[in-house]
Amino acid sequence: MFGRSSSAPSNAEDFSAEALTFLEPLFATAMRLTRNRADAEDLVQDTFVKAFRHSGQFKRGTNLRAWLYTILHNTWRNRRRDASRDAVEVDSEQVEQAAEGAGGSEPVDTPERILMRSTLDADLQAALDELPDAFRQAVWLRDVEEFTYAEIAEMLNVPIGTVMSRISRGRRMLFEKLSSAPDARVLPVAADAAGSRR
Amino acid sequence: MKPNCRRICDLLTQYADGTLPEAQQGEVQRHLDACPPCRVIAGKECGARQLLRASADRLRAEPLPPGLRTRCQALSAGQGMARRWLRPSIRFAIAAMLIIFVGALLSIVTRQSDALLAAQLTADHVKCFGLFRPAEGTRMDAAQAQRMLVERFGLDVHVPPSSTEGSVDLLNARRCLYADGRIPHLMYEANGQDMSLFVLEGESRAPAEFTAFGHHTRIWSRGGNTFVLITPKADESVAAAARYVAAEAH
Repeated sequence: MFGRSSSAPSNAEDFSAEALTFLEPLFATAMRLTRNRADAEDLVQDTFVKAFRHSGQFKRGTNLRAWLYTILHNTWRNRRRDASRDAVEVDSEQVEQAAEGAGGSEPVDTPERILMRSTLDADLQAALDELPDAFRQAVWLRDVEEFTYAEIAEMLNVPIGTVMSRISRGRRMLFEKLSSAPDARVLPVAADAAGSRR
Repeated sequence: MKPNCRRICDLLTQYADGTLPEAQQGEVQRHLDACPPCRVIAGKECGARQLLRASADRLRAEPLPPGLRTRCQALSAGQGMARRWLRPSIRFAIAAMLIIFVGALLSIVTRQSDALLAAQLTADHVKCFGLFRPAEGTRMDAAQAQRMLVERFGLDVHVPPSSTEGSVDLLNARRCLYADGRIPHLMYEANGQDMSLFVLEGESRAPAEFTAFGHHTRIWSRGGNTFVLITPKADESVAAAARYVAAEAH
């Protein structure tokens, strides 16, 4: 609707209106990135400033939602880089190694005995927030926002293979955190999930 | 872990997402049926994804901080306004440059005319309200403006304060770009319209009125100073405000 011609003011208004419909999920995503309401608010405002300023660069017929999420993640990465040079790269490398180690020493349970615990949304959010940044971002963009691997690769500025391995490890870590939560209630969802395919 | 398990594990993300081609989906399924350790891992991946998908709508519905939507809407309106403002401002800039050029030519042969002064200050009025418009609700105290005129310009002028008469509000006092910043520019809001009062030191001119660029200019002298008042063209809603300022300024 907004992509037919980039110059007419009515299209600029359409662009703004359409972009603003993604405000809530963008803020939720910013919250998972910053884990702090004030920073998330700032990040979202910055994202809209850039989106409106560069609306002419948005390619007609492409996905506006993915474009906005890419700006959000680029802005966040630049801030992190400004805050501490190379912190992002070191951080994600370390966590990937850490996860590798943790995965190997994990005591293996049988699928029959794994019970998925249902959890309040707050517990799920807390568990997500505990994930290392790189994994949380990948899992969130895939499982909550349903972006494709290619879209996520562009947003996070990493190869598709890395996206997939981060999603995979992030999901496993999340599952482990939830199943070890002290106040989690027992609910056989995952046994079902794995079992139903047999 | 069997050699095949590593390969299968690499496919589990797509398996959980249902994005594998049918043949591979079946291959992974057969492997999981026969391999309990891989089944555990698949259970974790599928479980986490199922839970997140089921909770996605609630996770995405983070309550917004108060005012965030309004501020983001204002950002978009601001961009639109900047674009809309740009075009008339370019016209004014060109007009102002022409006037100054013509003024330079004229000043060679004669003293700058009142009409030229009116046109130059009108251009300045538009430029100042475009570039330096004070934030909504900003008001300036007339006594403060008077002190500024004394300190910066050595001018002892009575500045008309904000008044309910003609709904006049003093917004700001600044140095006018015209005449190398030697002229003070008092920015008013009159009944919601932009209004400017310029003070020229030590000039004495006969009262005159002009219309230029859609604005009305009134020039008069009092007490050794010349005042130039600029309002939107022939606007009745600011007539009372203009009379008030003209009577007050001395």
